[in-house]
Amino acid sequence: MQKSTATAFENSSSSGNGGNDAGDFECNICFELAQDPIVTLCGHLYCWPCLYRWLRLHSQSHECPVCKALIQEEKLVPLYGRGRTSTDPRSKPVPGVEIPRRPAGQRPETAPPPESNTFPNSGFGLMGGLFPGATASFGNFTMSAGFGGFIPSLLSFQFHGFPGPTAFGTTPNYQYGYPPAYHGANVQNAAHPSQGQADNNLKFMFLLVGFLVFLYLFG
Amino acid sequence: MTSPSASSRKALSKIACNRLQKELMEWQVNPPAGFKHKVTDNLQRWIIEVNGAPGTLYADEMYQLQVDFPEHYPMEAPQVVFIPPAPAHPHIYSNGHICLDILYDSWSPAMTVSSICISILSMLSSSTVKQRPVDNDRYVKNCKNGRSPKETRWWFHDDKV
Repeated sequence: MQKSTATAFENSSSSGNGGNDAGDFECNICFELAQDPIVTLCGHLYCWPCLYRWLRLHSQSHECPVCKALIQEEKLVPLYGRGRTSTDPRSKPVPGVEIPRRPAGQRPETAPPPESNTFPNSGFGLMGGLFPGATASFGNFTMSAGFGGFIPSLLSFQFHGFPGPTAFGTTPNYQYGYPPAYHGANVQNAAHPSQGQADNNLKFMFLLVGFLVFLYLFG
Repeated sequence: MTSPSASSRKALSKIACNRLQKELMEWQVNPPAGFKHKVTDNLQRWIIEVNGAPGTLYADEMYQLQVDFPEHYPMEAPQVVFIPPAPAHPHIYSNGHICLDILYDSWSPAMTVSSICISILSMLSSSTVKQRPVDNDRYVKNCKNGRSPKETRWWFHDDKV
């Protein structure tokens, strides 16, 4: 294993000398294919051990060796390719120098799920099934009451589908429903307790309206 | 290590060796204009011929640079001096020492021999007088016992030449 990676490494680095694009991935300090690659905010690529040794042991200032932009270690971005997930610590031995682990990437939250099952299905299923024509206006009502955060895909669809936010402007709670649509799971969780009451009221109202229409149609 | 002053230095580290081999290969493919690397089997000391750029005070003059690499190159700057006779220049001492910030405080491991050469040629080319530094005699006397310019406390004050 050790041997095979070494040959692969040599092959790719020697082909880099011909001036082809392997050079795009060479460390700006050792000029080899970057190992434990890390990128500065200014976009310059280094091996993590190379950059660490330069910043901590040799440099008097925290500057990017290529462009002299200030480097903040917590803002370095590691590059995780496919291949090896961890580096053999013996691969770049520096006697007497302990290189710490490469800084981890900053991971933004995952995208919210496309469909939420926070709602009890029965209420909606009944309404939608019985009165297809009424669903759009009910959808509006749901959102304006503050449930946009639970059904982001529905919300974005409606924003694009309607002439503009003013379409919702008449309902008093519109502002409340708007922001959570752009946040992730945390907001959803945080918002949940305070909306329990509204949830129940709404459910009740839906059932009531459904019942009245049912009476009107079949009564 | 055949030369006497190089023998006192520590041998190049593996990283330094690999990097210098790469630099040398790149130099052979694409040498900086006006420079010629004199081929030796010593990777730790390069001798480079410099030709003054046409249209400058040093046109048609040839000088030699001696570049010695430390064990931990490129984390540490190489030692770069002119082999006397050095060009007469306000920042070049008669013993060959060069007052140029990138060789000392402003060294960066992303620099190369090639980029150093271009900086030195640029420094020569922008000179308007062929003149030694004002403290030349005092400085050269201080360096009598073969002191390295890397031990000098340089004061970089002139960004024009």
